[in-house]
Amino acid sequence: MTKFFILQNILTYLTVSIEKESTMKKFGLAVVVFCLLLPVVTFAAGSGEKENAIKIGFIGPLTGDAANYGKLMTQAVKIAVEERNAKGGIGGVKVVFLPEDSEGKPEKANAAIEKLASVDKIYGLIGGVFSGESLAIAPRCEAEKILMISPSATHKDLTNKGDYIFRDVPSDALQATVFAKYVREVMGLSRVAILYIKNDYSQGLSMDFKSQFEADGGTIVGMETGLQGDKDFKTQLTKIKALNPEALFIPNYVAEIAQILEQAKQLGLNTKMLSADGFSNPEILELAGDLANGVIFSGPEKEDPAQANAKTAAFEKKYEEKWGEKPDSFSLNAYDGANLIMDAIQAAYDKASDADKKALNLDRSLMQKYVAGIKGYMGVSGEITFAPNGDVIKNQGILTAENRQYKQIGVYRIESGKLVKVK
Amino acid sequence: MISFIQLLTVYIGIYAILSLSLNLIVGYTGMLSLCHAAFFAIGSYATAILMLKIGMGFWLSTLCAGVISAVLGALIGLPTLRLKGDYLAIATLGFGEIVKNVILNWDSLTNGPMGINGVPMPKFFGFSLNPLVKWQYIILVWVFVAITYFILRRIIHSRLGRALAAIREDEIAAFAMGIDTFKYKVISFAIGAFFAGVAGSLWTVFNQSVTPMTYDFMLSMMILCMVVLGGLGNHFAALVGAAIIQVAGEFPRLLGFSSVIPAQFKQIIFGLILVFMMIFKPEGILGKEKAKPPKGVPAVREGGVQ
Amino acid sequence: MINLSFSELIQHFINGLTLGSIYALIALGYTMVYGILKFINFAHGEILMFGTYIGLLIYDRLRGGALPGSQTLLFFFLAIVAASLFSATLGVTVERIAYRPLRRAPRLAPLLSAIGTSIVLMNTAALIFGTKSKKFEYPFDNTALNLWGIAITPHQIMILIVCVGLMVFLKLFIDNTRLGKAMRATSLDQDVAALMGINVNSIISLTFAIGSALAGIAGVLIALEYKVYPTMGTMAGLKAFIAAVVGGIGNISGAMVGGILLGLLETFGVVILGIPQGLKDTIAFSVLIIILLVKPSGILGKAVREKV
Repeated sequence: MTKFFILQNILTYLTVSIEKESTMKKFGLAVVVFCLLLPVVTFAAGSGEKENAIKIGFIGPLTGDAANYGKLMTQAVKIAVEERNAKGGIGGVKVVFLPEDSEGKPEKANAAIEKLASVDKIYGLIGGVFSGESLAIAPRCEAEKILMISPSATHKDLTNKGDYIFRDVPSDALQATVFAKYVREVMGLSRVAILYIKNDYSQGLSMDFKSQFEADGGTIVGMETGLQGDKDFKTQLTKIKALNPEALFIPNYVAEIAQILEQAKQLGLNTKMLSADGFSNPEILELAGDLANGVIFSGPEKEDPAQANAKTAAFEKKYEEKWGEKPDSFSLNAYDGANLIMDAIQAAYDKASDADKKALNLDRSLMQKYVAGIKGYMGVSGEITFAPNGDVIKNQGILTAENRQYKQIGVYRIESGKLVKVK
Repeated sequence: MISFIQLLTVYIGIYAILSLSLNLIVGYTGMLSLCHAAFFAIGSYATAILMLKIGMGFWLSTLCAGVISAVLGALIGLPTLRLKGDYLAIATLGFGEIVKNVILNWDSLTNGPMGINGVPMPKFFGFSLNPLVKWQYIILVWVFVAITYFILRRIIHSRLGRALAAIREDEIAAFAMGIDTFKYKVISFAIGAFFAGVAGSLWTVFNQSVTPMTYDFMLSMMILCMVVLGGLGNHFAALVGAAIIQVAGEFPRLLGFSSVIPAQFKQIIFGLILVFMMIFKPEGILGKEKAKPPKGVPAVREGGVQ
Repeated sequence: MINLSFSELIQHFINGLTLGSIYALIALGYTMVYGILKFINFAHGEILMFGTYIGLLIYDRLRGGALPGSQTLLFFFLAIVAASLFSATLGVTVERIAYRPLRRAPRLAPLLSAIGTSIVLMNTAALIFGTKSKKFEYPFDNTALNLWGIAITPHQIMILIVCVGLMVFLKLFIDNTRLGKAMRATSLDQDVAALMGINVNSIISLTFAIGSALAGIAGVLIALEYKVYPTMGTMAGLKAFIAAVVGGIGNISGAMVGGILLGLLETFGVVILGIPQGLKDTIAFSVLIIILLVKPSGILGKAVREKV
């Protein structure tokens, strides 16, 4: 609370000096000095407190258009951290979770990682959410040896940024490839249109889907675009309707999908709808209601509900009880990512000498080795194995919505360039 | 914490260049421009593309970035600067949105929403400037700030500067005096765009990546806020404004409670700071109150001659 | 020019018309305030958003889980009333706190104050109502009517009618009532109006109240199709503002003209020119600039002769 006290004092100083009409130059100088002193003051105030805690962080949009995605993910991580602390933390030390807002912008993400790295000295980071910000902060994480596991950034180049950079969401290449093959071979479609949004998630998936689908002999009859935040897609849908496709691929976030489904119905576009893991956000079932039924999408493999330790179902129930809403697939990834990081820290802790344990001087390269060596980890988002470059190898589920519930149609994976059905 | 402050110092420096250059347009020439982020974007992308796809060195690409921005500024200025007041503002607003829209859609040049990343580090006599080593960038950026400041000062005290001030005070009178107001307005706009482009170049190499999301309308507004908050028409004030806005924007992170309070609080505090600053000191921290001159006495220029 | 069947063309046209009427609806409030105060109220979009949330709250509370019918229509009407009242109050409050102190301040100060206000309002709404999009259930069955192969929904028709209706109502009010006259006088010259015995402060508050109420109504109508979320005001505000300027800012019918034109450009225009939809903003803003160059006061605006 001392920090608030300081803040109060500073604000009082500021308002008082504004009212006192001293000469302009002197005042201006005072303001500049104040701006420069403030960080120093807070540094002094901040450095006094050295908590005995193990810190992990999150960077993603918590305000702005995409705020809801960040919120869902941080809620998942909070559950993971709570569970871990309930079991005594790591070696008896509490785990502290520090979420930071990036507003979806790389420069804010840079400021956030700067703070988390240099002030808080986090061991691991769940983030970024968007590919743009993830690519921006990856070099920093690599340099500081912070384990970075992104739950949602799908850009191909991300994991190449370093050994400490991982992701537990299947990259565009993986998800789109499996789905394109599924649509072509299993569904037998040859004429598909795409309506995607100009953001890195949607565009990446669309491009990869297109190249795989065409490589397998299909035709993309039309590609229409929209902008993030657009609500009206009638123009694009009218054009697509005229092309008479067998299916429409809409690999977008739920807000746009809801609008597209509704407006397609209004315009009389009654074609098959296909989507991607963005559709796994249960919000779509509320927003689009019955219109969501019948959409086929690729997403995280859903566990067999009859399974004895139905991990995912248990987690979803816990999440809903605690937060009043259901998690989306990215939140599941975030939960697993957090647990993997904490397991890695635990592994390094176990190997540390007693002196190091006390001083919380842990070997980060041991943590990296732990995560890199993960094979067949059963998380709530599916079975996780990391490839040498840090990408996750996961089975891809093909799901649909029925009666406002998700249902899994099949599970697939690519083996030697061929589509293989797993379940 | 030191590292974080260093990062902020670099950001404040880059925003200071933006603020100084916008000050020329808004504060000195009296044109309300709402598209400064667009010139920033053009400069950023120009450097990213030149350095990555052509392999140009940093210093040359910075110059090119500035020139490209200036040329585009002049081109945009030619049609729009005939408009006055709020209509000019709207036209510039439109232009800003157009630039962002084009960047987002011109995939072959700009990679669209994916942005361009992996920009190489600038070299200084064979010595690579690594963005992770902050103090190098603090020096680099603030040298540019100093250069910008002094160049703009020279401009203000020149014939060009006096013409701009005349245009600001009363465009019709200036025109009646024989000043080619249109020509000078375009020049002012282009110079402002030039420095914004240079700032963009610095931004690119420091962040080593560019994405379209950064250059939205809100950014143009923020730069405008920096200029107004400090006090219009006063170069030192522009610096002050940049510092205040940046620090205010990062308040919670600096004081360490960013992870504790909901992120929305930070934005609310920022908004409230804006409102209260305007209510209590509308002419800006270092601005002078606009005095009504008695008849026959020459009017006091806002900001004075610095 | 690309190959388009006739029915497709008409469909695009209808889409554009209705999108345009949405812009026009929001632009009405904007243009009113600017017309009287020469002030761009950047927080207009957020006032719209907040009013819509309140409307949603009332609507859901009254409706329970009821299906569309005459009862829900009544509740919907009440929700609109609630939204407009709330927005009006919010607008007047904002004016009092954030704009009135700055009436004699340098030109840019109220602008920044408006920006600050919009940031505060948007984030407060996010805190109170959450960041998720919320659905505003249709009070009637919104199945599209299929007329000669062209789809148009009851919702789109409703918006068109309400837009025109409000516009006519406003014009009648401004042109024929005493208050309207007072508003016109204030917009021409505040000081002289005050000398004529008009309580300028009250007129300004009234203007904000009406403009904001219009925003609230617009928001609820739009939310049926576009959902309710904290950032719904931002783009709406920007587009509507463009519409208002294009049509002639300060001119009520201009808002309608500008809105329709903008909507048509974004849908119909882009298709005709064969450009990807992602560039629709470029087209819209380019036309805006062209119009400003040819007729700076807007399509229906009165050319103001600058006094020397």
